[in-house]
Amino acid sequence: MSPPDLANLRARGRWPPPDGPRVAIVGSRRPSPYGEAVAEQLATDLARAHVIVVSGLAMGIDAAAHRGALNSGGFTVAVMGTGVDIVYPAAHSRLAAEILAAGGALVSQFPDGTIPRRQNFPARNWTMAAISDVVVVVEAAEGSGALITADAALHLHKEVMAVPGSVFSPLSVGTHGLLRDGAGLVQNARDVLAVIGYGGEVLDDPLLPPERLGFALRPERDGILAHLSDVLALSAADIARKLQLPVSEVLGRLTALELDGAVRRQEAGYVRALRRGKERA
Amino acid sequence: MNPTSVRAVLASVDSCVLVGLEARRVEVQADASTGSVVFNIVGLAATSVKEARERVRSAIRNSGLEFPRQRLTVNLAPAELRKQGSGLDLPMAVAVALAMMRKAAPPHSAFLGELALDGTVCHIDGVLVAVRWLRRSGFERVFVPAVDAVEAALVGGLEVIPCANLAGVIAHITGEQPIEPQATTHPPFESESEAAEHDLNEVHGQEEARRALEVAAAGGHHLLLSGPPGAGKTMLARCLPGILPPLGLEEALEVAQVRSLLGDLSATKPLDWSRPFRAPHHGVSMAGLIGGGAGLAQPGEISRAHHGVLFLDELAEFQANVLQALRQPLDSGHIAITRSGGSVTYPARFTLVAATNPCPCGWTGDGRRACRCTPAMVDSYQRRLSGPLLDRIDLKVGVRRVPLDALASEPKGESSAPVRERVVAARRRQLDRQGCLNAQLKPGRLRQLASLDGASRQTLERWAEQRGLTARGFHRAWRVARTSADLDGSDQIGERHVLEALGYRLTDVAA
Repeated sequence: MSPPDLANLRARGRWPPPDGPRVAIVGSRRPSPYGEAVAEQLATDLARAHVIVVSGLAMGIDAAAHRGALNSGGFTVAVMGTGVDIVYPAAHSRLAAEILAAGGALVSQFPDGTIPRRQNFPARNWTMAAISDVVVVVEAAEGSGALITADAALHLHKEVMAVPGSVFSPLSVGTHGLLRDGAGLVQNARDVLAVIGYGGEVLDDPLLPPERLGFALRPERDGILAHLSDVLALSAADIARKLQLPVSEVLGRLTALELDGAVRRQEAGYVRALRRGKERA
Repeated sequence: MNPTSVRAVLASVDSCVLVGLEARRVEVQADASTGSVVFNIVGLAATSVKEARERVRSAIRNSGLEFPRQRLTVNLAPAELRKQGSGLDLPMAVAVALAMMRKAAPPHSAFLGELALDGTVCHIDGVLVAVRWLRRSGFERVFVPAVDAVEAALVGGLEVIPCANLAGVIAHITGEQPIEPQATTHPPFESESEAAEHDLNEVHGQEEARRALEVAAAGGHHLLLSGPPGAGKTMLARCLPGILPPLGLEEALEVAQVRSLLGDLSATKPLDWSRPFRAPHHGVSMAGLIGGGAGLAQPGEISRAHHGVLFLDELAEFQANVLQALRQPLDSGHIAITRSGGSVTYPARFTLVAATNPCPCGWTGDGRRACRCTPAMVDSYQRRLSGPLLDRIDLKVGVRRVPLDALASEPKGESSAPVRERVVAARRRQLDRQGCLNAQLKPGRLRQLASLDGASRQTLERWAEQRGLTARGFHRAWRVARTSADLDGSDQIGERHVLEALGYRLTDVAA
């Protein structure tokens, strides 16, 4: 694939954007709470430092990145794989409107009225890399579309960086592969800022973890919460075995935590929910 | 001399024809009169009955009996009822033979059976159904094919005469050589050791799904197992019959009736105490699954699964209209099918166990393999399952794959026997309280018999609001909570029971 023609991008909102470094944050469409929280926090901190956050308006990491930028009132650009008049996924109409309302832009290399087509998204990923100075990958499984963006960035001589994840998680395979191949390690926004010549010395301190949920939890439920991870889904059976409790009771207690928003249920188990910068709309 | 008395040679014999799991009485009248030598069958006989003419003629001749060289008319009354099947061969032949011998048929007796040309009385389908109906209608004696006698005798309360051949039947009626009636024997309940083919102790880990299976068995709830290929969904489903109580006599007879209609009963051991387990392939047609066929509809897989388990593997691969047709039986426990030959109703009170992959590739949520499906693919896959059918499934649980190398270290589970004991106890509580299982409780009786305290109601309502539950979904979660309390031996539903019930609602998504 060849570098896209940036002169012919269609846009809604302010395009071209104000001057400033541009960082693309991309990753899995089905991230763990950990990945989502990292993407959101990174975007918030980068936007606060007047970096333009670029992403693809997709589910998961993309949406978290846009939201994070919006949280600190930043300018964010959504590079779309459809025409700029068609928001895909449709569930992100509101997010797209918020991006525009905050002075950001929706851009696309495809003519208006282009519906989502599988073959258009890799080209969109190239465009994302082309308009950015740095591509940061947060959680990408093997074969993920985010790796196409990283590959494009290498071809276009842009910087590629990656956020490490749990070695137990399939979502770390792609990002760890990038790190092994020489991508820059991202632990916090300063790591990224240093690469683009912003900010000074890089300290090796981690990203401030998001606050845990502030709900008052009944004491007997805390016990279960401590055994849950924000990356790996554990089944009720796993926890019941660990705590030597009947599975019916553990299931009930997990459901109570789910009702409170403290855990999230995924296909094969439960993960601990992390507090988001701003509650989701 | 009155000329008619010379001519009139008339005999009448009772039989019946099947209409689904019901029957209608048929009076077979034979009249031999002067005139040209013909043999007519009148009375709305279908082709299969008209063909009886040749069988009856040959069978009578080959049994050493006299066949009238006269004008012979066999009338099947009532005339408005369409008669099908070969079961009327024997009554027709007996009526003709009796007419020739100027003898009356034995009182309160009915005849069923097909004839071979040599006079042998052959098997017919649905003997059990017919004989049960005959007993209810006040018949005291029934003549059935010898091969079907054990089946007929299951009914009890009437004399079953096993008929080997036509000559023997006539000899019995004339008193020359009485046939020994078939005694009623019920097979003994199977002992524990040979009861279930699949035992829960073969399932490693999967505590959540095991518990869901127990809840499903206890309350009669339908169950969806969602998980990647090789997670053991089929194995789990096959364990369900083994934790259900054995069939009662009436239930076993109902199960045997359906199989009898389909000619699928063992001649030597027609009654089986174990619960049916039916697993039709996902290519099954509408007629195959819910019943159908030309003329009068035959029972389908759902009726064969009556009082047992219907397992649908790869649920998303079934044709949408076939799955839609499951809605009526899931709600009512029976299915009414109308075909050209009339309308029939078959029982279909089964526990549905459905299994599905969570997405087209099957690996969503698997800890070791990444799913390659796009969210849109996952959405459209799950949409194929969603809606009315999923809404009728009370328990939805995820099943995780246990990797082969870890299988040995997974704890071995409890075996089926103790689980079944708990299930039986919980079922007894329900039957004593309300006369049916919790899954069959109507909303009105649910409110009356399964009251929720403040905290449990609040929890249930909170979830319903968060997840946009339909009224049906709300009541389903409530019923499962009632079952959870019954397994607990508790009269009152507590918050923990509601919470457990909500834990089995995998597919509820935050609104």
